[in-house]
Amino acid sequence: MKLKLLLAFFFITYVVSINGQDRPCSFSASGQVLDVDTEEPVPNAVVKVEGTKKYTTTDSKGYFEINGLCSKQNTLIISCIGYADSTKDHEHDSAMHFYLTEEVTDLEEVIIQAQRNKEEGTETIAQVTVGKAEIVSNPTRSLAAVLAKEQGLTFISTGNNVQLPVIHGLFGNRILILNNGVKHGFQNWGTDHAPEIDIASANSITVIKGAAGVRYGPEALGGAIVVESNPLLLNNPLYANIGTGYQTNGRGYHTTFEIGHGTEKWSYYANGNYTRIGDRKAPDYNLTNTGKEESAFGLGVLYHKDEWDFKVQYSYIDQNLGVLRASFVNSPEALIQAFNASTPEPADPFSYDITAPNQTTQHHLAKAEVNWWYSDTGKLTLIGGIQLNQRDEFDVRRNIELPIIDLDLLTYDYQLAWKHPKWHGLNGLLGVQYFSQNNDNNPGTQTTPFIPNYNTDRFSAFGVESITFGKNTFEAGLRFDFETNDVRGRETNQDIFRDNYSFTNFTASLGYVRRFSENSVFRTNIGSAWRTPNVAELFSFGQEGFRLIYGLLRFTDSDGDFPIDTSEVIALDDSNVEPERGFKFINEFETNKNGNSHKLTVYSHFIDNYIFDRPITVSGSIRGPTTAFIYNQVDALFLGADYSWKRQWTNQISGTFGINYLWSRNIGENEALINQPPISTSYGLEWNQGKIWKFDSSKWTIRPSYTFRQFQAPRTVSIESLVDGSEMITSDSEIFDFTDAPEGYFLLDLSWTFGWKNLSASVTAQNLLNSRYRDYLNELRFFADEPGRNILFTLNYKFNSK
Amino acid sequence: MKTIDQLKNLRLMALLFAAIAIVGCSDDDDAAPEEEEEVEVITNVSLVFTNTTDPTDVVTASAVDPDGEGVQDLVVDPAGITLSVNTTYALTFVIQNALDPNDVEDIGEEIEDEDDEHQIFFGFTDGAFADPTGDGNIDMASNPINYEDEDSDNQDGSGNPVGLETTWTTGAAPLAGGNFTARLQHQPDIKTATTGATDGDTDFNLSFVLNIQ
Repeated sequence: MKLKLLLAFFFITYVVSINGQDRPCSFSASGQVLDVDTEEPVPNAVVKVEGTKKYTTTDSKGYFEINGLCSKQNTLIISCIGYADSTKDHEHDSAMHFYLTEEVTDLEEVIIQAQRNKEEGTETIAQVTVGKAEIVSNPTRSLAAVLAKEQGLTFISTGNNVQLPVIHGLFGNRILILNNGVKHGFQNWGTDHAPEIDIASANSITVIKGAAGVRYGPEALGGAIVVESNPLLLNNPLYANIGTGYQTNGRGYHTTFEIGHGTEKWSYYANGNYTRIGDRKAPDYNLTNTGKEESAFGLGVLYHKDEWDFKVQYSYIDQNLGVLRASFVNSPEALIQAFNASTPEPADPFSYDITAPNQTTQHHLAKAEVNWWYSDTGKLTLIGGIQLNQRDEFDVRRNIELPIIDLDLLTYDYQLAWKHPKWHGLNGLLGVQYFSQNNDNNPGTQTTPFIPNYNTDRFSAFGVESITFGKNTFEAGLRFDFETNDVRGRETNQDIFRDNYSFTNFTASLGYVRRFSENSVFRTNIGSAWRTPNVAELFSFGQEGFRLIYGLLRFTDSDGDFPIDTSEVIALDDSNVEPERGFKFINEFETNKNGNSHKLTVYSHFIDNYIFDRPITVSGSIRGPTTAFIYNQVDALFLGADYSWKRQWTNQISGTFGINYLWSRNIGENEALINQPPISTSYGLEWNQGKIWKFDSSKWTIRPSYTFRQFQAPRTVSIESLVDGSEMITSDSEIFDFTDAPEGYFLLDLSWTFGWKNLSASVTAQNLLNSRYRDYLNELRFFADEPGRNILFTLNYKFNSK
Repeated sequence: MKTIDQLKNLRLMALLFAAIAIVGCSDDDDAAPEEEEEVEVITNVSLVFTNTTDPTDVVTASAVDPDGEGVQDLVVDPAGITLSVNTTYALTFVIQNALDPNDVEDIGEEIEDEDDEHQIFFGFTDGAFADPTGDGNIDMASNPINYEDEDSDNQDGSGNPVGLETTWTTGAAPLAGGNFTARLQHQPDIKTATTGATDGDTDFNLSFVLNIQ
């Protein structure tokens, strides 16, 4: 038999504790082995787990399954007459690339596509994962922008650098970001604070679209984003990746590196990233002061001994983000002028310089994790994480060199989770968690702190259990949280105010999965979640950019000349303010037949005491009349659906159609909500040429997308009409916005990625047509267009010692 | 077999205790943010007209925003400014943050320290004064105003006016129910001899009734 080059595709589905099959150990692997040349299944290939007596052979269709694996990390040996033996190392929940030594010829790539294991306790919730390949091809984008291509996800932003992920219309404190197993502890308030995550070092990013409050705790009300770094594989030969690139818009450049090695007992990695981008350019003008500089560094070590894993990780990120200079206006006259300006002022020539307004943040994360497989089916995991987030924000003002916001946030997170052995058919995870945050204002800003000092302490316990009967899996979870908050702030006359408040909450979830066949699955989940209003929502007071804003505890409804009264700080216990409580019902149906795959997600989300900020009036001040905003608490309903349809048109060409729809409303007062994502739709066409000419791989992607105008936006009341008194607002008036929602827009993206030996490269054109547009979810939409065409070049070199 | 189980139980307990020990040693403090000298907020602005020949003849008009960044409206002296005919006045300003009555911040000093970034522009009823003539430089920066001060560290090399000190000479004609507007613009990095009242950001913008009798 002729020797063939083998390129095998494995779909490895690891089923962790939550399944109903009876076996001594809880990991399993299943997949299919295909010959890449003929795309035929490879039958009778021997798949063996190294160091065990476990082995199996692929069936006539190339499928295999090995159950009862006790270790998280295994080495698979795959062999077949006619093909070279290959030894593969992997972890149970990661997507990886491997190299295979072919017996006679040179190195060949084997791709193992591990279908990601669902996070424990979220098996019944719709979710989506973005893999390494997608992350690597978007090195200069933010976490939120990379995720925004997925159905149901978008981002809300303050300019081009500050972008927050939005899941089904919710963002900020309603989306929990889990970075390396601990909740990312950052200044998570407003739309001008984005998570400081170095995505270049991420291995995968999973978005859980339902209420994941039981598993992750408060704030996972609208969903969770799980960022996984290097999986620290054992038995992994020394590897190194170096990447660099350039982008035309903003003349940005970046460089990344990663090095790692896994032996039988040890594994380590180190990675780093540096990005610098100058002023972006809209089609007609420069966007002055929109540069960004970011450096990041991370390392991790794993020690594996018998049934123990010890893992230590550290990461650091330093960001300096410019905010469009033209967006800084502090009087309505200037605001009206800026609204009506054809070119934002100033629009200076290109520069890499970042000056006020800007934000600098240093974020340190240190984490230790111990996993102990204390019995064949039981596991204990202990995680301890410490994070320090130091943030300085600068505004155009007298004392421009002093930060106007200077905060240190220290976060501790300890979790102990017990995956219990199977008990009466039940698999489950029980855990306790202690979470604490300490926020301090550093003195010397020469302005009253916008956010008070506070300490939050939270004790939680949760349990998630599942049971499987044939094709059906049921999952149920319950969580208990007790949280105390101790707040100390300053009023603008420098008087101290203090507040203490505690909440006790129960959260529950119920889910069901039915696997109709190999190709179709239905999952449904109803989950509750809650969160304490954050300090900005409660205690904000005064000038923030072009507006005055008042937190829930800083104003009362009044019957006077103005709709509100801001003369005193109210204690939370004396107010009507309640924690936000959400109930999300999410259903997903997925089917994959004859080259067509459909995925439909339908959800309804009721949020009791939903908190959001909105314009309320124009208030007289020494600067002239100023726009005033308040935080409001209402009952809100969100109904929506995401749909995607992927079709394999030919062997090489596939297309994916996607559409997202969200209807949302303040049902308490039967009026519109503000800052909700409009309908968007896209079609991505992919032409995978495989080997062509001298390239080992070549792939073209073209992706037109259209974002509609937000027709559910509130009515418009102009600043002029409020200043001249032709429009009167009282506390009963209907919600309004100062400008109309921008028109819909069409964007076209094009990319080509190709590989040659150890090199891979890409050329990507974003906004290829150089469209002029403004995005409803960009807070700076009043002032300037979005960036125009950007062409991004990336080059990656991958070295493996094997 | 039993001893192994016991050993495992011991380890389990050890892990639990380790977790509790870590939880137990988190620090706590309850300090409030330190007191800041608030220089961002202006609550009180007074225009002080002093007769240049008789320093005891002082006319003052004030605007007060009692709660600063709060939602309460601005209170402008309803009596306005009442000047005498045929008199020359020096106009100076008192600019304060008086939110903390025990620690009033003089923002005027701040502005003086950063005079290269600030300019006060004026607007008034056309022809109200004999000198300067016209209606002031809010509508057009090149219109005459008698600036008596200039900044130190300016952008374009020559001293540019600031406006904390100006002189005003009334004519013989009386005026009732006129208007006088003073507007302080913050013009960091952009202030030049030609920048006007719409350049930069507004620190205050106040209109008073002007009477000349």
